[in-house]
Amino acid sequence: MNNLKLAWRNLWRNRRRTLITSASIFFAVFFALVMRSIQLGSYDHMYKNAIESYTGYIQVQHKDFWDEKIVDNTFAYDQQLEKQLLADENVEATIPRFESFALASNGPQTKGVLVMGVDPAKEVHLSNVTDKLVKYRLTPKVIEKIQQDPNLPEKVKELAVLFENSAYTNSSRLQLDLGIDDKKASELMPAIETHAVYKNGSIHLGEPGVWVGDKLSQYLQLGIGDTIVLISQGYHATTAAGKYEIKGIVKIPLPDIDNKIVYLPLDVCQGLFNAEGKLTSLALAMKENQDKAIAQTVQRISAVVSENQKVMEWQEMNEVMVSQMEADDKGGQIMLGILYLVIAFGVFGTVLMLTAERKREFGVLVAIGMQKKKLASIMTMEMLLISLIGIIAGALVASILILYGVEHPIIFKGETAKIFEDYGMEPKMVFWNIDTYYISQMVIVAFMVLLSIIYPMRKIFGMKVVNALRA
Amino acid sequence: MIWKTAWKNIWRNKVRSLVVIISITIGILGGIFAVAVMNGAIEQKVDAALNEEISHIHINDPAFRDNYDIQLTIPNAKQVLSSIENTPGVCAVSARTVITGMANTATKSAGAQIVGIDPEMEKEVLKLHLTTIPGTGDFFETESRYQLAYIGEALAKELNIIRYRIDESVLDSLAAREVPTEVLKKLTPFTGHRFKSEKSFKKEVKGVLSLKEQHEYGAVIKEEAWSFRARSKMTLTFLDKDQMQTGAVFRIAGIYNISNGIFEMSQILVKNEDLMKLTGLAANEYHQMIIRLDNLETTEEISATLKENLNEMEVMNWKEIQPQLAMMTDMITKFYAIFMVIILAALAFGIVNTMLMVVLERTKELGMLTAIGMNKKRVFKMIMLESVFLSLVGGVMGIVISEALISATARKGINFSSYAEGFEAMGYPAHIYPVISTSFFITVTVLIIITGILSSIYPALKALKLDPAEALRTE
Repeated sequence: MNNLKLAWRNLWRNRRRTLITSASIFFAVFFALVMRSIQLGSYDHMYKNAIESYTGYIQVQHKDFWDEKIVDNTFAYDQQLEKQLLADENVEATIPRFESFALASNGPQTKGVLVMGVDPAKEVHLSNVTDKLVKYRLTPKVIEKIQQDPNLPEKVKELAVLFENSAYTNSSRLQLDLGIDDKKASELMPAIETHAVYKNGSIHLGEPGVWVGDKLSQYLQLGIGDTIVLISQGYHATTAAGKYEIKGIVKIPLPDIDNKIVYLPLDVCQGLFNAEGKLTSLALAMKENQDKAIAQTVQRISAVVSENQKVMEWQEMNEVMVSQMEADDKGGQIMLGILYLVIAFGVFGTVLMLTAERKREFGVLVAIGMQKKKLASIMTMEMLLISLIGIIAGALVASILILYGVEHPIIFKGETAKIFEDYGMEPKMVFWNIDTYYISQMVIVAFMVLLSIIYPMRKIFGMKVVNALRA
Repeated sequence: MIWKTAWKNIWRNKVRSLVVIISITIGILGGIFAVAVMNGAIEQKVDAALNEEISHIHINDPAFRDNYDIQLTIPNAKQVLSSIENTPGVCAVSARTVITGMANTATKSAGAQIVGIDPEMEKEVLKLHLTTIPGTGDFFETESRYQLAYIGEALAKELNIIRYRIDESVLDSLAAREVPTEVLKKLTPFTGHRFKSEKSFKKEVKGVLSLKEQHEYGAVIKEEAWSFRARSKMTLTFLDKDQMQTGAVFRIAGIYNISNGIFEMSQILVKNEDLMKLTGLAANEYHQMIIRLDNLETTEEISATLKENLNEMEVMNWKEIQPQLAMMTDMITKFYAIFMVIILAALAFGIVNTMLMVVLERTKELGMLTAIGMNKKRVFKMIMLESVFLSLVGGVMGIVISEALISATARKGINFSSYAEGFEAMGYPAHIYPVISTSFFITVTVLIIITGILSSIYPALKALKLDPAEALRTE
C-alpha cells in the first residue's frame, strides 16, 4: 500500500510529463476503440443487410444446390420436414423459396436475372420484401414538378436533380437526401411526397405477377404495369418461359442483388420451371441470432434433415462478403498496429527520462537501505498508473461517443450521401456496442507499457550505488 | 548561428534524442509503407481496368449504353474509324459488336455480354490476350473450323468448363513434385473422381488432409488437379437483329484470368465474323469503338477533340465510363493524408514531452542566455528549430528506409493470396506491388515540419516564461 502511495506521489512531481504521456495513451486508446467500433459496426450492418434481405441465417438446401445452382438440385416441400424444423426451440418460421436464374427481357433489353419464388406472407418473418417496396421515386417527371413548385427552396431543387432516378422505401431517407431538416419537414415534405409518390401493388400466391429490383427495372426500362419476359431452363431440361406483369418495384440494400432480382409468387415460379411442389431452399427465421445460438441450431437441425439435404450457415452463403470484410479488418488492424508502435516509443521515451533524471535519487535510496526490489515495484506502479489514467480516460470518452453512436448512427445527407451511394454503400455509419474488442485494445496497451519497463528494471538491478550517488 | 546551436543541442542527450528519432522513423516508415501498399493496389486496379477491361475512350450511339439495343449501330462506321485513326494522339482503335445473351453448358447457364471483335485490332487496344491461362488455348490464334469464344476463368468455373479431378497421372505428377507419400495415400481414394466445382473439390480435399498438409501442399494439389478439356463446348443464346432468338455452339478458344472477378464472369469475346452471321448484322455494322491513346494524360484533350469531330456519337472517356474509379483515385489521396496526420499526431505527444524535458533541464542555461542578452525571439526560434530538426532527422530516415523498402518489395510484390477471394471480388489484385509518387514524400516532409513546429510551441512558451534571475538561481 505504501508503495502505491509513493508511486502516486512520484507521478505528480512532474505533472506535465505525466499528463502528456497519459494523453498520448488516451489518444491511442480513444482512436483505436472508436475506429474498431465503426469497423465492427459496419461489418455487422453489411452482414445483417445480406442476411435479412437475402440469405437468412440458416437455410436447408438440396445437398448439391449450393455448388450447382440448377433446378434439378431441388427437394420436395413436405409438411413432415417443416413440422420437424418448427419443433426446434430456436426456429421461428420456415420460409420456402425457389431460386434460379433466367434471362429477362423487355423488347430489345435483355439481362441475366436472379428469379426468386417466394411466399409473400411467410417472407415477412425474414426478408420482409413488402417493406422494401419503393414508395417514392425521383423520376425526371417528378423532378420537373419539384422544379416548378414555387413553395420549395432552391437548395431542395438542386439536390433533387443530383438524386435523379433514386428510389426510396421511406420518406425519411428522401428527406435527408434533399437536405431538409426536421423543422421544415412538416412544411415541405407533404408537397414533395405527393410529387414523388410511387404506387406499388402486391403479389399473391396463385396470381402471376412480379416484383423487380429497382436497378434492374431501370436497366430494363420497366415500370409498374409493364410486362417482363423470363426465359430459362426448367426441371429435367425442359424449356421455361413466361410473361408476367410487374406489380411493384423493390429496393434491396445490396446493389449486387438489386440489379438482378425478380420476385415471383412461389407457386407461379415453380410452374415456370415445371417443378411443382419443389423447393431449392428453406430459409429459417431465428429467435436468437447470436453466433453461438446459430451454431447450436445448425447442429440440431443437421440431425433432422434427410440425407440429400444439407444445412448452410450465412457465413458459407456470403463467403465473398465475409472474406472481403476480413481483408478490410486486417487493414484496419495494421493501421492500429502502426499507431500503437508510435505510442509505445513515446511511453518508452518517458521511461527513459524518468530513469535518467532520478539516477541519483535511486542511488541515495538504495544507499540508505531501500531494497532494489521495492524500488523496482514502485517504478512499475508509476508506469502502470500513467497508462491506467490514459486507458481509463480513453475508454471513458470513447464509451460516451460509442454509446451515443449506437443509439444515433451517423446518417449523411445531401451531397455527402450521394458520394456514399455512388460507391454502393448506405450513407450511414453504424457503431458497434462496447464489447470484447475493448479488452484486446487494453491488453495491447498494458503489454506495451510492461515492455518499456524492462529498461529501468535493468538499470535499477544493475546499479552501482557509488556511481549512482556521483551522478 | 542559432541553426548550428540548435543542431548541436539535439546531440547533447543522444539516447533521448534517438528514442524520439527512432519513434518518428518507425511511424513514418509504417505510415508510408502502408500507404504505398494501398496505393499500389489501387494503381494496379486502375491499370488493369484501362489495359485489360475498358481502354481509354469509348464511342457508341448516344442511346446504346441505355439498353444495348442491337439496332443501334454506328452509322458510316468506316468513316468514323478512319477519322479516329487520323486523330493525333490515338494509338489504336478496335471496332466491336456488343450484345447481351446467355451461355449454357449441359448443366449450367449464366448471363453474359457477348463481344464480337477482330482479334488483331483488339490486341492493339487491350492486353487481355496476354492474360490467357497457359494450357487453355490462345486468343483466336489457332485456326479452327468451329466458332470460338474466349472466356474468363470465373465464368469457366461457373459453367463447369474448368473442373477438378484426381487420377493416376495427377498422383504421379504430384509425386514428382515431392509431395510425400502419406499425402498421396490420403488422396488415392479420390482416383478417377471428377469434382463438380472448385468448392466441392476444396471441401473434400480439406476433409482428408491435416491443416499443415493443406498449408504446404494445397496449392500444388489444386494446380495439378485443375483440369480443362481443350475445345470444350458451350452454347450462346441471344436475340438477333430482328429480335428473334438465335444461338450456336461455340468452342473455347482460351480462358483468361484477370483480377476482376465480375469482369471475368460477364465478358465473352468471339470473332466479329461469327457474330455477324448469327445476328444478321452487316459487315461494317459495329456498336462500339474502343480507343487506346499514346499517353494517358491526354485523355481529356483527345476526348474533347473526338466529341467535336463525332458530334452525333457518344464519346466517353474512362473517367466517365467508370466514375467510381476516377473518384476513388481522387478520394484516396485525401485518405492517405488523414492517415499520416493521425500518425504524426501520435508522434507529436512524444516530441512535446521530450522538448518540455529539454526546456526544464536547461532552465539555468536558458536563464544565463537571456541574462547575457539573447532576446526572447531567438530563444523561441532556437527551441523551435531543435524540435524541427529532431522531427526532420526521424522523418528523413523514415522516408529513406521506406523508399528502400518500397523499391525492394516493388520488384516481387507482396502476396495476399490467402484473402484472394475477397480482394478479387472487389476487383483488386491479391498480389500487390507497393508504389508511391514522389510528391507524397514532399507532402509528408511538409507535414513533419509542421508537426515539429506545432509540438515546440508549448515547450518554447514555457522557456519564454522563465524569469532570468530565478532561472539563474536554480541548480
